[in-house]
Amino acid sequence: MSKLLHDIKLIGDDIPWLKDMRSAGRDAFAVSGLPQPKAEAWKYTKPIRFFAEDFLPAPHGESCSSPNKNLPFNACKIYFENGVFCSCDEDIPQGVEVLPLIEAIMFKPEIRGKIGASADITKHQFAALNQAYLGEGVYIKVAAGTKVAKPLVIINHITTDRELRQYSLRNLVIMEDSSKAEIMEYYCYDGELKSSYFVNMVNEIYIGENASLHHYKLQSEAYKAAHIALNSVFVAGYGEYKSFCLQKGADLSRNETKVILSAEYAKTEVDAAYIMNGWATIDTTTDIEHLKPFTQSSQLVKGVIGGQAKGVFQGKIHIAPQAVKTEGYQLHKAMLLSDEAEIDVKPELEIFADDVKCSHGAASGELNADQLFYMRSRGIGEEEARQILIDAYLNDVIAKIDNQEIKQFMSMAANPLKERE
Amino acid sequence: MEPLLEIEDLYAGVEGKEIIKGFNLVINPGEIHAIMGPNGAGKSTLSNVLCGKPGYKVTSGRVKFKGKDLLKMSAEERAREGLFMFMQYPVDIPGVSVTSFLKHAVNAVREHRGESELDTMEFIKMVREEGRKLGLTPEMIKRDVNVGFSGGEKKKLETLQMSILKPDLAILDEADSGLDVDAIKVVADGVNALHTQDKGLLIITHYQKLLNYIVPHFVHIYAGGKIVTTGGRELALELEEKGYAAFVKDNQ
Repeated sequence: MSKLLHDIKLIGDDIPWLKDMRSAGRDAFAVSGLPQPKAEAWKYTKPIRFFAEDFLPAPHGESCSSPNKNLPFNACKIYFENGVFCSCDEDIPQGVEVLPLIEAIMFKPEIRGKIGASADITKHQFAALNQAYLGEGVYIKVAAGTKVAKPLVIINHITTDRELRQYSLRNLVIMEDSSKAEIMEYYCYDGELKSSYFVNMVNEIYIGENASLHHYKLQSEAYKAAHIALNSVFVAGYGEYKSFCLQKGADLSRNETKVILSAEYAKTEVDAAYIMNGWATIDTTTDIEHLKPFTQSSQLVKGVIGGQAKGVFQGKIHIAPQAVKTEGYQLHKAMLLSDEAEIDVKPELEIFADDVKCSHGAASGELNADQLFYMRSRGIGEEEARQILIDAYLNDVIAKIDNQEIKQFMSMAANPLKERE
Repeated sequence: MEPLLEIEDLYAGVEGKEIIKGFNLVINPGEIHAIMGPNGAGKSTLSNVLCGKPGYKVTSGRVKFKGKDLLKMSAEERAREGLFMFMQYPVDIPGVSVTSFLKHAVNAVREHRGESELDTMEFIKMVREEGRKLGLTPEMIKRDVNVGFSGGEKKKLETLQMSILKPDLAILDEADSGLDVDAIKVVADGVNALHTQDKGLLIITHYQKLLNYIVPHFVHIYAGGKIVTTGGRELALELEEKGYAAFVKDNQ
């Protein structure tokens, strides 16, 4: 038995297709194993700690204690504790269906072709591992034409009294034609900040014609946690996927977003920010596929890296031969706060069509000493001045969040000074 | 009455080069001093040393501010104690609004004095009112610090900061550089309005133009790293007539 792959009793093993999927995930992971140090996709973010450490899967059906994490804004909360679906607010908006994934697997045979369809287990080792334990997560369906007024927030709360656990979660989101919603994922913990655990996420998201999903994520895991997430998104014609992810926790973290713009006028905006200190590696990986004409994508990723931490951005834009009149933009900017901090950036543009507008850019810099001194000369302490400047640096990417309350929430999360206010 | 600022036999420099060589000055409450010097005299070094800019090293001498050892304080501590540097080249800070910047500064000073934080709404009202006096519109105050400000507007913003922070001693470093006469008047009126019997002003300038609007009690001619001549207001006028060469040639 290889590391991370353990025999445990899983709910739903009596459902043949689920059992088959789990076996397929198991087999794929057993064959591929962990990404090797030379693997191109993991060139900068080396998941070496998994070679040394093992994490035990959380048994299915564990109970949860306190399904209560308050948010400073009105939302429909879906609450997970230690990787287990706990509860969901009762006032689910009209036209929205929310079910624990395992129930959806049992009672919604139509999702069978959706789960695992977009997260390729032959290419994504951690998705294969995730599929080996398939069952926990949430299923969200927004019915055709439904415009959901308040955001749905999936809270993944870890109580750090359980060491060296792995939590495999998979969310399936189906936005039917002309629907509109906002979903936020919030990863947080209570207790020992140096606790070590592993969250392995897969989101499979289907956006129908003319539908729109705004997807936000705040990754604020404990300092020694590992957090690996794959967002696999399929966008139909005139559909929109707009996302913002702030990563500020964990010791090893990757947020990977793959968007397939499958039909004309599908568009996506994948924005992200990260802020890290200490020794951590924090990775934002994107892969945007423009398959058809008139599709659009834009990405703005900004990071602040201090201590001996490492920030990684890998951004791929692929434009298929027939995808003329498309637009794809990508910009990564990072601020390094120390001499030992490191940034690795790998833009990849694969353009097979003529008549497209496509660009990428990358820049990195340091805190501006003159600005810092100017603030100090007005009485603002050095630490506070640094934080204000960091906040100002991240301001333009956070400003891309349309929802004002979530924008404020993210802005606070990015700035520990504001959190205290 | 304790002096606001006492500089005694100060030697200081930057990047290993000694620029200030035996500088002495005492400023008492209520006094306005002007230091005039030719290019390269070390005027900027003097202001940078006094406000604690990183990189500037004091090799010997003493500086007391309100009786306390100024040289032991960090830049922010000096500001909180009531020293204000009116900058020659104020810096742009994109992403930080004027109000937010000022609020952080005021609250840092208030916290140092053991006072409670200001109410945000009242604070904004006060900033707008002070800004209005200087011809800074509410729209400009909403903008990011110095971003898109003209030279004159930047100096008005410095004046606004001074009026909000109410320092005991303000050092005006080439406050009139790049300003037309109208803007000089606005800035000077603003500075004069803040000058009371318990406060001090130190004007560092190359030209005597600004001294027509902020009238000093003492004028010092500064060359070769120290004060070579001290006089009253008339010294500046004499300097304008004769040029620096007449005053500094014997001392360099």
